[in-house]
Amino acid sequence: MIGKQIARWTMAWFASALCCLIASLGFAAVGLAGPGGWAAGTAMATVHLFALGWLCQMMIGALIQFTPVLCARPLKMPGLSLPALLLTGLGTAMLAAGFLSMDGWVLGQNLLGLAPAVVVAGFGLTAVMLVPTLLAGQGLRQAEVRMVALALIALAGLWGTGTAMALTLAGYNLLPVFIPDALPLHVLLGTGGFLTLAAFGVSYKLFAMFLLAPDRDGPLRKAVFGMAALVVVLVLGLAGSILARGPRLPLGLLVAVAGAVTAGLYLVEMLRLWRSRHRLQTEVNMRWSRAAMICLAMSAALMVPTFRWGAAWAEAAMFLALVGWLSTLTLAQMVKIVSFLTWIQVFAPQIGRRPVPLVSDLTDARFAGRCLGLWATGVAGGTFAIAVGHPLLFQVSAMILLVAVLGLTRELLAIRRLRHLDPARLPDHLPPLVLPVPLRSSSDDHALPA
Amino acid sequence: MTTPCPLELDVRPQLARGEEPFAAIMEATDRLQPGQSLRLIAPFRPAPLFSVMANRGFGVSDRRRPDGAWEVVFAPLEDAVLDPGLAPGSTPGAALWPDPSHVLDLAGLMPPEPMVRILETLAGMQAGEVLFALLDREPMFLFPELAQRGHEWAGNLAPDGMSYRLLIRSGGPDRAVHHG
Repeated sequence: MIGKQIARWTMAWFASALCCLIASLGFAAVGLAGPGGWAAGTAMATVHLFALGWLCQMMIGALIQFTPVLCARPLKMPGLSLPALLLTGLGTAMLAAGFLSMDGWVLGQNLLGLAPAVVVAGFGLTAVMLVPTLLAGQGLRQAEVRMVALALIALAGLWGTGTAMALTLAGYNLLPVFIPDALPLHVLLGTGGFLTLAAFGVSYKLFAMFLLAPDRDGPLRKAVFGMAALVVVLVLGLAGSILARGPRLPLGLLVAVAGAVTAGLYLVEMLRLWRSRHRLQTEVNMRWSRAAMICLAMSAALMVPTFRWGAAWAEAAMFLALVGWLSTLTLAQMVKIVSFLTWIQVFAPQIGRRPVPLVSDLTDARFAGRCLGLWATGVAGGTFAIAVGHPLLFQVSAMILLVAVLGLTRELLAIRRLRHLDPARLPDHLPPLVLPVPLRSSSDDHALPA
Repeated sequence: MTTPCPLELDVRPQLARGEEPFAAIMEATDRLQPGQSLRLIAPFRPAPLFSVMANRGFGVSDRRRPDGAWEVVFAPLEDAVLDPGLAPGSTPGAALWPDPSHVLDLAGLMPPEPMVRILETLAGMQAGEVLFALLDREPMFLFPELAQRGHEWAGNLAPDGMSYRLLIRSGGPDRAVHHG
């Protein structure tokens, strides 16, 4: 039913994700991951802190917050959010530590074998909250809901392929796979499947809202979904064939072409949305989301040629997708989302009772824009470094990305603490920085026998 | 199938401390299992809550206990929906409300501006007066604020999906309004 519309643990999901982002960029900046060294245990740990710890946790936190907005329905069983967060965070840490076994840390093998079970418990609780909410009411008739549901199917495939590889690396003979076969599918299901499709679904609604553009479910949106569904089915089919030790199907090029077309169609629709906007003066989150879109276009354009050009270009395409497209989009929107939710938390109860500031007053848009510009510079440098195989340039780029994120973290803290507002306008009590507002009454209630 | 035991929430200690129990009541309601009732113990008859809980699909029964406290049971109604086509949370019977005395066209405004305009208008309206607002999308963040302030609402998306129509019946001027 309709209750408070701010999910209680959203800020905690975001904070946990940001910690993983800072840690992974720190590791990359000191040379623990980079071109020519992705197979090392430290590099795998860094990549998973980034992809699972930062991007997946951020996306799950955002979905828990925005699925009710997409569906106009309250979230089912919101109390599972905290256990889901704890399990996902713990699973990420175990997985990252477990990968160190590849560099000779024997104890890590057990962690690597156990981590998938912890991660799936977190994902499972997330699905228990999201799936019934997505299916209620209008449900799958809405384009954005269909897209998020498809993303969750890809998430299951991401976990399945990841588990098979983790168990194989840990020395268990439960789901033995040939890693070079399974790895590209795992990367595609995560980057192109779960993360990109969930970002598509959420962006339909949020972009229309932030740009004041008409939000229509037209033929283009249906085509994006159709192509995306085709890609997910193909990749899941390939993954199933590998896990069942079936034949190696020569569908890689078809997947790459279909994936690139899906991204292209989505970008055409976003371009139309941008052009039909009523809000001519756009805010910093939307201006930098354009940079994310450019990275998506470049990454999609690279998908097919990588078949000829080789591994370095495939890695550059993945870097562009994970760091350029998904992370730039997430960081840019995070500034807006955190300021909006903070405004609702603090000032919604005061509307009509005293003057309230604008949401934009909570943010130093110029500073946030500079940080996002620095981030984009790091993305460009990192992509180039991977394409030409230059570890030192990659390290420098990771340092630039790290500085940009530390700047954005400072800005997010300033937003949560209302530091950009006139101190005279501040309320007496601010909500906690990361944790939910405590419910003082919860010790007073208890279930009684009827 | 067994009916779960009612969840009991005693708000007397909280009120005695001078705290506002509304958030705790909504939180307890959110935690109810399907079919579970909420038994609320309060030092007075919490009449303003009845319409809020009716909006959320609960029937109400209340009694005064020998110790002077009020015991109110909010039981979920099996088929609590309402006029077809209305969004969940809408007040049943909104069709019988008087004609709107205030009309706001809030299309083309960036959230949360529609919410600000609606709540500011409601602050000056008398109990029972009705406000009609036209919006671009469902104002999900407005609803808890309306419930908390004792206003009732009913809304739905226009058939073409391009606008949201919202009727709000004022529960009376905001007692906490500070003018000037």
